[in-house]
Amino acid sequence: MSIINYASREIQFKIVYYGPALCGKTTNLAYIHQRINPENRGDLVSLATAADRTLFFDFLPLNAVVIKGFVTKFQLYTVPGQVIYNATRQLVLRSVDGVIFVADSQWEKMEENVESFKNLEDNLAKQNISIDEIPYVLQYNKRDLDNIAPVNYLEYVLNNRKRRVQSFEVISSTGQNVFASLNAVSQILLHKFSKQSDVPKTPPAPVVIPVEPPARQKQNASV
Amino acid sequence: MNAIPCLTIEDVANLDGILGAFLAKAEADLTVVIDRGGNVISQFGDMTVMDVTIIAALAAGSFAATKELARRIGEVEFNALYHQGNGNHIFMNSVDDDTIMITVFGRRTTVGLVRFYSSSTAQKVAELLKALSSGGHGFSFDASDVTATPVFADQ
Repeated sequence: MSIINYASREIQFKIVYYGPALCGKTTNLAYIHQRINPENRGDLVSLATAADRTLFFDFLPLNAVVIKGFVTKFQLYTVPGQVIYNATRQLVLRSVDGVIFVADSQWEKMEENVESFKNLEDNLAKQNISIDEIPYVLQYNKRDLDNIAPVNYLEYVLNNRKRRVQSFEVISSTGQNVFASLNAVSQILLHKFSKQSDVPKTPPAPVVIPVEPPARQKQNASV
Repeated sequence: MNAIPCLTIEDVANLDGILGAFLAKAEADLTVVIDRGGNVISQFGDMTVMDVTIIAALAAGSFAATKELARRIGEVEFNALYHQGNGNHIFMNSVDDDTIMITVFGRRTTVGLVRFYSSSTAQKVAELLKALSSGGHGFSFDASDVTATPVFADQ
């Protein structure tokens, strides 16, 4: 948790993009960096390997005036998605205020999505943060590909919890819903610290369990 | 409702006093106090030297990454790190379990001088932050103060 500086009237929030390897976390940040007003952003810093895989993190600072009288600084980070970099993910999650979980919609990535979400829960728990308390939203990315699971299946797998959260169908390469998901988590985060934290919000629709069994759908999709 | 810990104008003035005295004695260009998550708590000196926000994120990462290295040789962590450049250098030292202090300096001074004065400065900063956290004053705002429009716009 950051500190409010009354002298400079600044508040800082840290938002982390989390998800399995190659799900599109860095693409999200690159799109935001490319499209947002340059006056409201700093440089995009990527600590990546020669093959453009995130080694440590990507970082993008953004400024906004969203709370009357204060400059609000949002610091966007991505984590390295590869399984072996768990220690790094724990470091990046330190002092996190909000999370955008990026799931890869492709059928063959479903297991990795579930593992990564569980890993997020575990790593937050190590900081004494419960996934049920931290502001987060879900992105179902790569909706433009052919071999993708339907949204209700992704909801069933990743959003079938006591606290249902907002989810977005995203194509991070073209920017579809990239800003919508960032704005959603920002609003949840801001209202968490407001005096009336019981802000009315639209309850998500109940999860519809897919009629066809996933295994069969997967086989069909791979034909 | 969740309150955000806050630095009052008085706290900031006290911190600035400590950091300003340190810069004058050590003859360094800039010093930044950050938390280990990479958030800037306070800064003092020549802000044109660098983008403080980015340096804070990278320094927190660098400090955390070397913790594992320290453990391999039986240490809990390294208390200080020094990055030597050709003309400009960075010295980082631990303030407390949650805070790090970064100092940027050039040819006017030496790493020895920066290291010497940063140690006592870190102690003073730690005491001030400890008093702050035990004081328990926090900040929260009215929901009506938060903008209803999207925070970020796709241009």
